[in-house]
Amino acid sequence: MSYTPYREPFSAWNKLILAYRRHSGSWAYILHRLTGIGLVAYLFIHIWALSSLTHGRAAFAEEMKTFTTPPFKVGEWLLGALVMFHAFNGIRIAVVDLANGAKYHKKLLGAVWVTGVAVVVLMFFLIFSTDLFAK
Amino acid sequence: MTDRNPGLSENDRCYTCMTATFRIQRYNPEKDAKPYFKDYTLTDLDPTFRVLDALHEIKWKIDGTLTFRRSCAHGMCGSDGVRINGKNGLACAVLLKDINTSKPIVIEPLPFLPIIKDLTVDQSDFFRKYEMIKPYLITHEPPPQMERLQSPEDAELLMEPTKCIMCACCTTSCPSLWSNENYLGPAAILRGFRFAFDSRDEAPEDHMAAMDSQDGVWRCHTIFNCVEACPKEINITWHISQVKKQLVTMEL
Repeated sequence: MSYTPYREPFSAWNKLILAYRRHSGSWAYILHRLTGIGLVAYLFIHIWALSSLTHGRAAFAEEMKTFTTPPFKVGEWLLGALVMFHAFNGIRIAVVDLANGAKYHKKLLGAVWVTGVAVVVLMFFLIFSTDLFAK
Repeated sequence: MTDRNPGLSENDRCYTCMTATFRIQRYNPEKDAKPYFKDYTLTDLDPTFRVLDALHEIKWKIDGTLTFRRSCAHGMCGSDGVRINGKNGLACAVLLKDINTSKPIVIEPLPFLPIIKDLTVDQSDFFRKYEMIKPYLITHEPPPQMERLQSPEDAELLMEPTKCIMCACCTTSCPSLWSNENYLGPAAILRGFRFAFDSRDEAPEDHMAAMDSQDGVWRCHTIFNCVEACPKEINITWHISQVKKQLVTMEL
């Protein structure tokens, strides 16, 4: 007696990540991957932006001027938020893998959010202090 | 299901009973090209019914062609692992009052594994990976006259992993497995821990070999889907992390 078992196409796995019931751990995983991709993309833009150095000091200074405009400052702040989540969650993963973090991983993720949001709020004041308080 | 208690009058009716719709994934290999969903509405369900009871009601009274595995129906044999409302679990261990019954309850087979029929999956791949970690005690000496003794502390370490009933709920819930079909999976690594960390085992490196491979513990990205899915509430990720820790601190 033969039968044909049905097998989901292998490409269905990324759909499954979103369809399967999510909880704190899988949200942390998804956000860690997305922020990781975002940071790699930023790295390329960063190197490309620095390439104006090859056109001399004046060209670089001119470019740096555009980076101090408000849209770029907001972008810098958001980039800082990505870095903070990726960095603090990276510490959480190290604690889970190399200590007993698996026993309190939900509390660790809570700590990631609390410290991350605190640092991002602090960064807001550091980045925008010249615009807010300089007058 | 109005004929459940035909002898009862209107006054004796069960007023705590509820109605729920079950959206069950069906697949008949002889007829269907792809799985599809079919709705079954049950009335007179008790909130303390398990999902398995509802599946029985459907199979016995509405549609006899519904196919699913179950054996002991008491959460011990691990046969009836299914995906209930998007999350893996044992149909016999999930009560209706603990899940959202206001919307149709979606019941699918375990993800990733090939579907034989309806909710029945082919678990041979799962057990092949289980065998890869050599799930037996390895010793080089003949067995003693009496049993092999172990201190209570050493036995305590193995209490949690030996609760595993091999239902495949954890392994099929793992995103690392979905994206890499060669990954051993949480259940196999948990069994690997059980033998590699057994004080009576004389060749832990034999169990570690498969776990230290390219598709072993290093594919675990601590997503905790396995811990959420485990019907025996085993902290599988903690055991995987102990294997990782052992491997990075071991002398070569």
